[in-house]
Amino acid sequence: MPGEADDVAVLTGKVSAERFSEVVLPHLSDALALARWLTGNADDAEDVVQEACLKAHKGLATYAGGNARAWLLTIVRNASYAWLARNHPRRIVAVGDLADLDAFAAKADTDAGTPEAALIAKADAAALESAITRLPHPFREVLVLRDVNGLGYREIAAMLHVPLGTVMSRLSRARGLLMAELGGTR
Amino acid sequence: MELPSDPADLQLLLHALVDGELDAATTLALERRLADDPSLAAEHARIAALQAAVRSLPRPELSDAFQARIVALGIGPREAPPARPRFSSSLWRAMAASILVTAVLASGLTQWTMTRNTPDSFAAAVASSHRRSLLATSPVDVASSDRHTVKPWLDARIGLSPAAPDLAKDGFALLGGRVEVIADKPIPALVYKHREHLITLVATPQDGGTASKPTVAERSAGGFSLVRWTDGAFAYWAISDTDRATLEDFVSRFREAAAAG
Repeated sequence: MPGEADDVAVLTGKVSAERFSEVVLPHLSDALALARWLTGNADDAEDVVQEACLKAHKGLATYAGGNARAWLLTIVRNASYAWLARNHPRRIVAVGDLADLDAFAAKADTDAGTPEAALIAKADAAALESAITRLPHPFREVLVLRDVNGLGYREIAAMLHVPLGTVMSRLSRARGLLMAELGGTR
Repeated sequence: MELPSDPADLQLLLHALVDGELDAATTLALERRLADDPSLAAEHARIAALQAAVRSLPRPELSDAFQARIVALGIGPREAPPARPRFSSSLWRAMAASILVTAVLASGLTQWTMTRNTPDSFAAAVASSHRRSLLATSPVDVASSDRHTVKPWLDARIGLSPAAPDLAKDGFALLGGRVEVIADKPIPALVYKHREHLITLVATPQDGGTASKPTVAERSAGGFSLVRWTDGAFAYWAISDTDRATLEDFVSRFREAAAAG
């Protein structure tokens, strides 16, 4: 797999080194945070981000400008799922299950048993982390992209190739599940 | 502005309000509704509280060792670590940990501050000028190991020049000097070479009264090690991709030589 891609990298090395440092390096912290939540742990996140940065470096030529962070995070997301598929295939929700999840999401938001805002505000960080890690990936990634990485709805929709409404309903569902979890642990 | 009557749609709008995704008209209509509807207002408060809680979760630490690995990827295949799948991830982690431990021990547990946490645009500018110089055909505008050449050259260009001792006998050869423009001011920069690493030393003139107290601060910027100190008339910034212990060694030798005249 190295070999010919590396030859290209040598030819364009000087140009791409500067672009790489402008496009990729400023977003490393965001990349690491996304990989941490998608893989489920911080140690694996470094491996995944390194792999993603290698891909980003080789693919710099295809980066057409615009939102560098969203571009890098897209690569990190793909690398995270590729890593999961190799190492923990059972942790990923298959694409076929997605429709069920979305249908489930639409009706499951009941207010009964959701805790008060004050209770959520002082929720234990460890409890919240474990609740996020237990979210199915389609919900988890939207929540992390929005609340940890700070992407807008449109950016997330473009990145995941889903309609804006799907982003909104998954985000609502993800937050609903977290609230219920935090209420249940009290 | 009509709000949707369907509770599920209204719920989505609540999230969009917390996320700042609504236009002004919808925001206004929804805020009016919230004022009249305590249960909707409670849900809005819950969403906002959850978002704040998620945002305040600790982020994974961006270690210097890890940053250095990624920077090396960008510089090119020769300096980059070998393609990583041949290494087990635990070996990588062990290597990164050992590099970090060595660096921390060597620097006497100095504090490592990342530029992304400090609005220190000067440090960032020094880092990017150093990075540019590594990519340029030549890192210097005047190439000479003789301070009697470098100092007059800088003096003639910008009217000021820091001490420029050649530390070749200590392993830090003076390659020459160049002029940097940072924050619209021309600033002298000296370039030293240690083995295969370049060290850029940027000197900014100090304001008269505050110049007397020598202080040393350490940090890193853009993946490089950075040491800043003040001596007499200049504030100095030394930056390099070499390890921190080497950079600190360079700084102490430079200060000795500069003080000796």
